[in-house]
Amino acid sequence: MTLYTYGIIDSSDQIKESIYGPEGSGVYNIPYCDIGVVVAELNEPVQNVSKSSVLAHEEVIERLMEHFTILPVKFHTVFDGRNSILSMMQSYYKHFKDNLNRLRDKVEFGIKVIWPADKIKKSIRNSRKKGEHEMPIPDGSLNKNFVRKKLEKYKINEEFEQKAYKFINVMDIFFSKFAAEKVLKKLKTENLLLDAAYLIDKDRQADFKKAFEHIKNAHTGFKFLFSGPWPPYNFVICRRKVSYLKIPNKKICLIK
Amino acid sequence: MTINSLVETDFPEEFIEEMGKTDDALPKKIDANPENVEKGLAKLVLTLIELIRKLLEKQAMRRVETGSLSEEEIERVGETLLKLENKMKELKQIFGLKDEELNLNLGPLGDLM
Repeated sequence: MTLYTYGIIDSSDQIKESIYGPEGSGVYNIPYCDIGVVVAELNEPVQNVSKSSVLAHEEVIERLMEHFTILPVKFHTVFDGRNSILSMMQSYYKHFKDNLNRLRDKVEFGIKVIWPADKIKKSIRNSRKKGEHEMPIPDGSLNKNFVRKKLEKYKINEEFEQKAYKFINVMDIFFSKFAAEKVLKKLKTENLLLDAAYLIDKDRQADFKKAFEHIKNAHTGFKFLFSGPWPPYNFVICRRKVSYLKIPNKKICLIK
Repeated sequence: MTINSLVETDFPEEFIEEMGKTDDALPKKIDANPENVEKGLAKLVLTLIELIRKLLEKQAMRRVETGSLSEEEIERVGETLLKLENKMKELKQIFGLKDEELNLNLGPLGDLM
């Protein structure tokens, strides 16, 4: 039997609420020591990803978030039976436990920012054309002119990146006041200035939202996307498998 | 269905477009067949060459900028970079590859270029 997995929770108790999985079967907890893996049984092979299956998955995660700290696993993670899950838990128990402790009472928010990259590049080009910036190579041969062009492009890109990092820094300093942790992806594309995830204490969510509104209002011409609260997708740290003792038919709890 | 998490933006299309550009350069499924295997290999090799070419170019620009190269050296750097760029254009054309295809997604480390 295939087990469709939602995540690891900080409880070994059964789920009291009625929550249903992909085929309408009940979502339940497979306990391991003092934590558990939330699953639903599947009879059919996993279907292709669709919008409704993603939303249904997210709904289950959100309902679990109301009662537990959850480490969400990758969408459409399946195991071929209870034993596989227990074996995985045996290997990673300590990692899961550390993550659950670190992420307790915290949620993730996403912030994406698009900036007017074309306008900014144009203004850099214009200011350089005004002759304030001297090029160290005189006009000359084809090869020298090629280097000259390349150097000009290089300098424009450098200035463009400096400007971007300046904006990101201003925003990040402000958001970081409310965040326990963060993951920043800078300039993923020329237009996508920032793609960030912030880990926020549940009781500071309103403050974080206010900070976002403040930054948004202060940067006209920039486009913002705010999302959350999400389970901490970007903050689960799971390194390579730890060594563990294996005793057949016995659960081994590594916690001390 | 009740989803409580919010996604707030006045510009959904722009964000969809930008995020689309950052999708994994590597396909989710491997579509291997005798016809595309050559192109796949070329893509991998040209990506690495392109990375080295860009690093060389950056290093050269840094040196030109600091004024540590003589006129003769700048001439030689220009000739080398120009030839490299032209050769890359030629190879991309032969294998039907576009600039944006020459990249590798390195998972948590982000894109190669």
